[in-house]
Amino acid sequence: MTLLDHAEPPVHRADPVTVEIIRNALTSAANDMNATLIRSAYSPILYEGGDCVVALLDTDHQVLGQSAGLPLFLGNLETCSKAVEEKYGSEVWQPDDVWILNDSYLGGTHLNDVTIFAPVFVDGTHVGFSATRAHWMDMGSKDVGGSMDSVDIFQEGLRMGPVKLHEAGRETFIVDIISTNVRFPYQTIGDMNAMIAALRMGTIRMQELVARYGIATIEAARDEIFRQTEALERKTVADIPDGVYEAEGVLDNDGIDLDTPIPITLKVTVSGDTIDFDVTGSADQTRGPVNCGVAQAVSALRVGYKLLISPETNSNGGSFRPLSTQVREGSVLGAVAPAACQWYFSHLGLLIDLVSKALAPALPDRVVAASHGDSMIINTAGTDPRTGRDWVTMEATLGGWGGWDGSDGESALINSVNGSIKDLPIEMVETKYPFRITAYRIEKDTGAPGRWRGGNGATREYEFLADCAVGLWFERSRTKPWGLFGGETGRGPEVIINPGRDDEERLLKANARPMKAGDVIRLTASGGGGYGNVADRDPQAVASDVENGYVSVDHARRHYGYEG
Amino acid sequence: MSSYKVSMDIGGTFTDIVTYDNQAKRYRATKSSTTPGELSRGVISGLDSVIDDLSDIDFTVHGTTQGLNAFLERRGVGVLLLATDGVEDSYHIARGPRLELYNAQYRKPEPLIERKDVVGIRGRLAYDGSELVPLDEEAVRDAARRVRDGGYGAVAVAYLFSYKNPDHERRTREILREELGSDFTVALSHESAKEWREYERTSSAVVEAYTGPVVRDYLRNLEDELSTRGVEAPLHIMQSSGGILTAASAREHPLQTLFSGPVGGAIGGAKLAESLESGNLIGVDMGGTSFDVSLVIDGVPDVSTEAVLEGQPMLMSVVNIHTIGAGGGSVAWIEAGGLRVGPRSAGASPGPACYGRDGTEPTVTDANLALGRVSAEGFAAGHMSLDIEAARTALATVGEPLGLGPVDIAEGICDVANTQMAQAIRTITISRGIEPRDFTLVAFGGAGPMHAVFLAKELGIPETVVPRFPGAFSAWGMLQGDVRKDFTQPYFHLDEDIDPADMSRTLRGIEAEALASLAEEGVPEDKRHAQHSVDVRYQLQEFFLTVPLTSADEPLDPDFGRRLAERFARQYEDRYGHANLGAPIEIVTLRTRVTGVLESAEERRSEPAEGADFPHRTKPVVFDREPRDTMIVERDDLRSGHTFAGPAIVLEDTATTVVPPGFSVRVDDQGALIIRNLEVEGND
Repeated sequence: MTLLDHAEPPVHRADPVTVEIIRNALTSAANDMNATLIRSAYSPILYEGGDCVVALLDTDHQVLGQSAGLPLFLGNLETCSKAVEEKYGSEVWQPDDVWILNDSYLGGTHLNDVTIFAPVFVDGTHVGFSATRAHWMDMGSKDVGGSMDSVDIFQEGLRMGPVKLHEAGRETFIVDIISTNVRFPYQTIGDMNAMIAALRMGTIRMQELVARYGIATIEAARDEIFRQTEALERKTVADIPDGVYEAEGVLDNDGIDLDTPIPITLKVTVSGDTIDFDVTGSADQTRGPVNCGVAQAVSALRVGYKLLISPETNSNGGSFRPLSTQVREGSVLGAVAPAACQWYFSHLGLLIDLVSKALAPALPDRVVAASHGDSMIINTAGTDPRTGRDWVTMEATLGGWGGWDGSDGESALINSVNGSIKDLPIEMVETKYPFRITAYRIEKDTGAPGRWRGGNGATREYEFLADCAVGLWFERSRTKPWGLFGGETGRGPEVIINPGRDDEERLLKANARPMKAGDVIRLTASGGGGYGNVADRDPQAVASDVENGYVSVDHARRHYGYEG
Repeated sequence: MSSYKVSMDIGGTFTDIVTYDNQAKRYRATKSSTTPGELSRGVISGLDSVIDDLSDIDFTVHGTTQGLNAFLERRGVGVLLLATDGVEDSYHIARGPRLELYNAQYRKPEPLIERKDVVGIRGRLAYDGSELVPLDEEAVRDAARRVRDGGYGAVAVAYLFSYKNPDHERRTREILREELGSDFTVALSHESAKEWREYERTSSAVVEAYTGPVVRDYLRNLEDELSTRGVEAPLHIMQSSGGILTAASAREHPLQTLFSGPVGGAIGGAKLAESLESGNLIGVDMGGTSFDVSLVIDGVPDVSTEAVLEGQPMLMSVVNIHTIGAGGGSVAWIEAGGLRVGPRSAGASPGPACYGRDGTEPTVTDANLALGRVSAEGFAAGHMSLDIEAARTALATVGEPLGLGPVDIAEGICDVANTQMAQAIRTITISRGIEPRDFTLVAFGGAGPMHAVFLAKELGIPETVVPRFPGAFSAWGMLQGDVRKDFTQPYFHLDEDIDPADMSRTLRGIEAEALASLAEEGVPEDKRHAQHSVDVRYQLQEFFLTVPLTSADEPLDPDFGRRLAERFARQYEDRYGHANLGAPIEIVTLRTRVTGVLESAEERRSEPAEGADFPHRTKPVVFDREPRDTMIVERDDLRSGHTFAGPAIVLEDTATTVVPPGFSVRVDDQGALIIRNLEVEGND
């Protein structure tokens, strides 16, 4: 039996041209849903940040088509309609109903990530689901937008469902409950309606497909599409030598108890064309908000898997079939009520990187050394003396990514869980807020040495022109960006308040810390890990790095024996 | 005595020339081979073939891909970038997004210059343009020495807040020119793009510095050549915005010429919309390796204020061209037992298997040939003959493993490619809030008319138009352009802080300068028009919509605030499907566009047909997996009023139009083919 024949052959084979047309149409339908959502959304985090995902599912909750979307939302939309069915049975689905869910322990993420989904009917027959998840800017948590120091889910805002948002085409009281519980109801309901518009687009596209090809052909095509996807992934997995591969790292702390690191462990077992990810050895759920539900841990593991196994294909119901996952209930990756989940992504960024670390011996040409790995957040709030108006900001700091076989890591790049978000232009920041950006640079020597060196982190320095309060979440100072195959470790994050002054202070996390006009804060994100032994680095690359200022002469002499 | 208007569109393989005879009121199109390294020779030989005495030419317009090619092939000049000290890494940080979410081995788009070619210059302005630290003039002189010693070909200067106060950038250029000579190329960011956002403005200046000397040299040579051949009319250049400028002005602002080549088609589309029932067009231009989609909405080309090329942003007015990675060269292949078409292209080399240049993989062009939709001898005006056996052999390499016969695989590849193109068009229109069914499809380029009707069918579009000279439509479009210049002025205010008198005064100032600048373009005073608009957004948003103003005086209207908010809300609703009237807004940038209307080149109506008959022949072509008797007709044999039904193929020098069964064709009084879906409309 060849690998391509491994999956069960479909009973009725649709012809290859029809299969390919339907495959493209399903992806295109998801793209149309995504375009509709982004076009109609009210919040910048959706229409600029793209912090959302859409999918069409069949009646077995398998993904027919999905937009690229935020990676962390990969492959956990199907848990939502499944949760409804487990609770109410499959007869609960009715035409023109819309459901909503944001429960962290079901959806897996923080309460701000809201999933809205609807069954799709054609002539009275239930043919599948249209589903979308998006980040809502505020869910009525104790602090605006969400907290860095919540200790249970009840501090984090409105927790729902699954419940019906529309029944037989009419809004239910849930819409009113949402409006009265969130801080920005106008935008929130706008975003909610954008999500419903996306569902409608998906429903129309699915109905058109069924009308054109008939459900039997679509099902046959679906089986063939899934078979193709599964066969490709199984082949890649089968090429990995059988064995057990392990990696571990720690989060610095949970944001509340700053002295206790949070271990995350991963055991990968490859056997034939199957692969198992076991994270049961990870820490128990924490008091601070760095927990997530099982569904989200599975998503992160799928991202780690996809980056290595199938980066170029659109995911569908045939994806991830070779993958099994083991997550322990009550751990930081399988949190149960009432664990706080607001800052649910810091350990997931680490987990995604650990997949690459564990499998490095087996996939040396696909893996990358570690990146800075977290968002490295600064937020500020105050009253602008120029206008008397209040302001709030939140910015991520760009860091270095790891090297890989054939290339240095990239410098000053957003971390993986933030998708494709851009930094704020200095000219915009200084015009709108009472700051001056006194430095913004690629920080030399922060990336780790190696045959392929890590990328450098960025330094951004703010001088405040008004009193204000600052929040900081800089992570991964204990598990710094590691190297692979002899590559070294990147420099960790660094935050200095008033550098060079008598009141200079170093810290990494803070909540609403007061700052005075004239105070300076200098943020430097970590550099990436190196790949391969420094001794093997091309001397011309070292010379070019010195010439371009990516490494200092001193660093080049010390690590690479540079003689220039 | 005869006189002519002439447009020249130089592509990679062919140069298209369209002439308009002012007396006969007739267009003609011709094609000559592009002569790399000596481009003007191809142009002159093309002109010689249609005009006896080149001194009869009274107007020339040219679309050039010189800047674009220099950029794409990375053969611009070495650039030294001078940027504000302390934040000079903005260009290489490039705002830090990861544009491929599932690629852990992601690298940023390759910048045009290395980090060592950036010099931090002390000198700092505050957000309002006031000086915090004076310019370090000695550092600028040091940089000039580096330019000389390092053999740099141009300098880009991009300081923070130069759009508020350009003094430091201007002084920098004075110093550089003292040191390097008055001819030396210095691109100042506030001139390349007078808008905020330092990375995008810096990138604009770098692209201008990098491509500028190449464009300048080329334009100077072409002008010299035309003038020695007796062409006295000034040369005009198509800009990325769709307006035209004299070559003399284009040399001052070479960045504006970057997309000079492809935009002609969109301008042609806007002209075409005047004579069609619908002002809403989707233009499809298909060549060998790419498939370009442009939109004309209410008769106006869809123009955006920012362009991105290979990841490098530029802030400038540019006609929106959406490029989809599909074309005649898209390769069919097998993955896990499934058929795939594209996105990889066989390109021009080796090209489709039927080109006989050692390509062995089957492409969409090979499939069209095997189906009989392209004729082996009549491809690219007879400049190239096609090898049908090579096409069949290549198709079998994919067809046999899939169990598909020669016809099934060939038409299957076309069907998959057509649905992919249609789906890409649908997603583009949906993200603009447009329903494609309400639009008319206009097909041009060599391969556009071959696929357009299939796309229209897939999208539910009732009407497809194939204009005259579809292969030279871009060149034709250039003759329809007006002189255009764009001016911007950053003007950041929350709605409640707007000072109407100041806003109006500022607009009047820009207007006076802008209108006066049209004198350099030879536009008489009574032909000059100014239009103002303002970029508006909801507070806290980053992106904006450009909202038109009725005049520079409109802000003085006591009702202005309310009217602006309403106009913005209406536009927002159109674009995004909802609006938020009453929510606080802010204005970002003032924009003034001046146009000079040129003497129009109206064509005399096409001769009506004398009867219903026209010469044609019949040959079998595959549609719906069966060979069908198909009418083959030469376009030159068609007259306005002729009608016929598909299946049919219309042949002409520069393009092939495929009309499948179920569609009717009418030749309108401009000579355009109007193709309608019989199922949707009935035959008319």
